[in-house]
Amino acid sequence: MNDDLLPHFLIEGRDLTEQAAHDLQMLARGPDKIALDSCFRAIHTLKGSAALFDLPPMVRLLHAAEDLLGAMRSGATADPAALPALIEVVDQTDRWLDELAASAVLKTGAEQVEKRLAALMGRAPPPEASDTDPVTTRLGGVAIRYTPRADCYFAGDDPLAIIRAVPGLVDLRIAPREPFGDLARYDPFTCNLVMEAVSTAERGAVEAALRLVADQVVLSELAQTASVETVEAEVRTLRVAAERVDHLSDLTDELVIAKGGLALLAAQAERLAEGHVLAQALRAQQARLDRLVGELHGTVGRIRQAPLAPLFNRFPRLVREVARSLGKTVSFEVEGGETEVDKAVVDGLYEPLLHVLRNALDHGIETPAMREASGKSAASALRLSARSAGDRVVIEVIDDGAGMDPRRIQDMALARGLIDESQAAALDDRAALELIFLPGFSTAATASDLSGRGVGMDAVRSAVARLGGRVEIASQVGKGSTIRLVLPISMALTKIMVVTCSGERFGLAIEGVAETARVAIGQLTPVRDTEAFVLRDQVVPLVHLADLVGASRPTRPEVLRVVVAKVGDESVGIVVDAVVDRLDATIRPMSGLLVNAPGVNGSTLLADGTVLMVLDLQELVG
Amino acid sequence: MSLRLDGDVIRFEGQCRVEDTETLVALLHKAPEAKLDLAACQGMHAAVVQAMLAFGRPVVAWPTEGFLKDHLAPALAGLRPTKL
Repeated sequence: MNDDLLPHFLIEGRDLTEQAAHDLQMLARGPDKIALDSCFRAIHTLKGSAALFDLPPMVRLLHAAEDLLGAMRSGATADPAALPALIEVVDQTDRWLDELAASAVLKTGAEQVEKRLAALMGRAPPPEASDTDPVTTRLGGVAIRYTPRADCYFAGDDPLAIIRAVPGLVDLRIAPREPFGDLARYDPFTCNLVMEAVSTAERGAVEAALRLVADQVVLSELAQTASVETVEAEVRTLRVAAERVDHLSDLTDELVIAKGGLALLAAQAERLAEGHVLAQALRAQQARLDRLVGELHGTVGRIRQAPLAPLFNRFPRLVREVARSLGKTVSFEVEGGETEVDKAVVDGLYEPLLHVLRNALDHGIETPAMREASGKSAASALRLSARSAGDRVVIEVIDDGAGMDPRRIQDMALARGLIDESQAAALDDRAALELIFLPGFSTAATASDLSGRGVGMDAVRSAVARLGGRVEIASQVGKGSTIRLVLPISMALTKIMVVTCSGERFGLAIEGVAETARVAIGQLTPVRDTEAFVLRDQVVPLVHLADLVGASRPTRPEVLRVVVAKVGDESVGIVVDAVVDRLDATIRPMSGLLVNAPGVNGSTLLADGTVLMVLDLQELVG
Repeated sequence: MSLRLDGDVIRFEGQCRVEDTETLVALLHKAPEAKLDLAACQGMHAAVVQAMLAFGRPVVAWPTEGFLKDHLAPALAGLRPTKL
């Protein structure tokens, strides 16, 4: 086993199985030449890479799959059983990659699996495991066919020296152009050769090396015919270690903070005698830095963005496995994999999504018999989709299963002692559905092996919250359920208003702030146990930030400083001591003990090095 | 002198140039059973390679020089020239 190469193979192998699985999914919808070609290439490359390791069953199976795909490409076969068999092969390859990642070897029994799947594809595995392709078909590069002129020896050319000068030469064949005929009359000075070679160098470099004999040379780029349709769509990519990008991102964040220091300097300069000019110059510099840092931050943010596809493509196999084990028939669709989000979000979503999907399969979707009894098709539809909505991404898991009955959920929560009778009575349907997010709700005994692993919807909600997102739920009894995860696309700069309250500073995201106002005590109207004021003919209720954060209210001034925030569709006035600043900052999610602190969005570092808590007005006031 | 007949073996030594081709063909005619020893060969003109292909004599030792070893030897080893 080649240990150095294994990690690369695992990464590449995942990409290739994902590609193949995606292509097969396209093929399942109907004939699709591009998908077929792409799938063939993926399997071919996968086989070639697997051959570097001691994995005979995998190589043989992939070889058989490649043969089958080759036959499908040439139109030699159109067996309807081929696609499901190929999907199984790709799934199995993915499972083997799991095994390799865990223990660097395939589990025993791989040969049996291989034989079963090969039989499924209707082909016996080839006898030789280490079948080696001719180099020409495995490597990309430039194929050269050089037919020197018959009189070239007289002209002083040495065709061998010429071909030798080609950079990146990997495969050379030399053959007579015509049969030599009667050797008794062999003419040593008439060239009768044709040379074929492959070069891994750029076509331009190959052309340069052969420029003097260009009329005797034919070049063609290998694998070009197969990939020509997709070449333009391919995005140039670079694999970079995630830590480096994270470091770059941290440095950029620090730059944002350091930049903020310039504003302080400008303010200090302003106070100096004759300091006005200096302050102006500093501000001009700051404006320039602002723009550059903003661009840098945006660019780094985009580096961090990755498509959801690699994550999404892991699920079809898992869904098939879970559905099979539950005896349910599911048509699983994935869409929107091209949506790009912050890599941290992609990485953090596997567990939550897996849990939501398992839940849907286990609790949402009925058995085929039950479905037919209620007049539905035996096969259920499960859909995982993503779309971007402004600076958020919306990921939905939609099933057409039994749906959730709010009253039943309420009863279950009651039975488990999660709520009491009076709380239950106050719940509307939507609030009752939300009970599934309570810790302890889904870890109960009714949960099956699959979804009841002590991971409930509460864990899903907190995992999503850690990524700066929220979970929504909608369900109709008998029709199905939708679980919606709404997450930020990037961990980008947020505009923050800094306010003070009882001597402490707090940040408020400006997107939630409508305006600020000064309200004289005399303008307040008592409303039940609180107060309100009228702002442009609208009654705006008042809350005190001090109450919200658990501080004591300061002595009441004559004029209140009020931040008017939009919470849902309503305006709410929040009384603060003062509005002291506005700034751009990266809000970091809370970690450690404060992960679940209510009403806190995250924190950010200020220019002077202090930590500013950024409050979630929706949660605090709502 | 880059080519010489040594008993049953034609030895290639140093650079075998285009002008050596005539010598090689003469030796091949002269010794129809002779095998080829390329071990000491440092370079070979295409005309020499062509004669080897044409006569298809067995090679008893391959060159050690980089290009000859890596590219020429496989190119020739894979071929079984047909004598017509």
